[in-house]
Amino acid sequence: MPRVRTAAALLAALALGACASTPGPDANNDPYESTNREIFHFDQKFDQWMLEPSAEYYDDYVPQGIRNGAHNILSNLNQPAVFVNDVLQGEPKNAGETIARFTVNTTLGLAGAFDTAARLGLPPHTNDFGLTLAKWGVGEGPYLVLPMLGADPPRDAIGQAADFAFDPTIYVHLKAHIWWAVGREYLTILDTRARNLDTVNEIERSSLDYYATTRSLYRQFRDNQIHNDKPPPEE
Amino acid sequence: MVGIKHDVFTAGLKAALMALILAAGLAAAPARAANPAEMFIAQNVQRGLVILNNKQLGKEERRSQFQAFLLGLTDIRVIADYTLGQYRRGASPADMAAFEDAFKDYALAVYQTYFDKFSGQTLQVTGSYPLDPDETVVKTVMIDPAKPNDPNPLLVNFRVANEGGRPAVVDFSVSGVWLRETERSDFTSYLGQNSGNIPALIAALKTKTEQERASAR
Repeated sequence: MPRVRTAAALLAALALGACASTPGPDANNDPYESTNREIFHFDQKFDQWMLEPSAEYYDDYVPQGIRNGAHNILSNLNQPAVFVNDVLQGEPKNAGETIARFTVNTTLGLAGAFDTAARLGLPPHTNDFGLTLAKWGVGEGPYLVLPMLGADPPRDAIGQAADFAFDPTIYVHLKAHIWWAVGREYLTILDTRARNLDTVNEIERSSLDYYATTRSLYRQFRDNQIHNDKPPPEE
Repeated sequence: MVGIKHDVFTAGLKAALMALILAAGLAAAPARAANPAEMFIAQNVQRGLVILNNKQLGKEERRSQFQAFLLGLTDIRVIADYTLGQYRRGASPADMAAFEDAFKDYALAVYQTYFDKFSGQTLQVTGSYPLDPDETVVKTVMIDPAKPNDPNPLLVNFRVANEGGRPAVVDFSVSGVWLRETERSDFTSYLGQNSGNIPALIAALKTKTEQERASAR
């Protein structure tokens, strides 16, 4: 994961810790809610003026095959980090599938452009160090929203820092490496936004409090990843 | 010659009989033993998808049929009451009745938009687990005919409650995100910022319902 997101996450966590008074009891574990809402409002404007139009342009004018190829390459670049987290979580079957997928897609899949491994019966799965920390019993921490990056509580922000270290591309010395990192991060965000154009718009349209809705969506989605679609915890 | 013909005829009759027995067995035996909640979902949700897939229906007729289907499948009142969270305790009966009505219209408009995303797909029940003696979560996947071998099909779960002897869906989730839970966060946060004013929530829901209907036209 590029260092841009990681540095922004850690700086935001420090800044919020410095400017917030001692938080009172909060059923939503969102003691910095007023600051989060300001940042969320900024993110909505960023999405409205920059990200959504870019994603629509990307969706309308870039052929589906190229978009799929870009998505596959980005996913393939994440496989080393997924593999390390599969091992750390004691998931040997998943780890085996991940290393097999990375090998097949990098070679037969032309540097990851084609998901040849899926056609050979090796399904994809995601994993990250934030999930590893969660499975080790580390709490999420207070809910945080970051500028241009969205929801990123401390556990997930720290997770991204670790995943950055697991990314083999950071050890490849390229000229203007930071621009490669920024470009890759931007393409990842663009790809995700383009794939969810209608969904995001529908959720926003049907919400009375879009901030609260996205907070709930984020937490439920992460909880489901942590529990691997097993029964939800008792209410 | 007569003997050979007899053998062929007998062999043919035996083969036909075996085929009949096998066919009857396959038709009668379910793919897996399904409990009542699973059967309820398998039979009823597919009916909803059939309505959405029916291109011969006009838009208004499809909406009307789908709403009737949703009202028969779900217990909208139970869902509505849940979404108020702690604000339900202080609500007057009149406010509760008005809220349940407004929520019903809002939910029908929103749920149709969500279910529209599954049109063209078929539902396959993959299992279930109990939450308590009166509630079961039924697990399903949505099979997209354009991607029959998709290694990661969409996971949709249904929470089925026993409401006075009648099964009813009280929540559903897509990829682990439960709609009722999300609505509860949304509405309680709105009420928290509006001094717990339920009439204000009702008015906001009516506005959202109109917006949702307008976007569906």
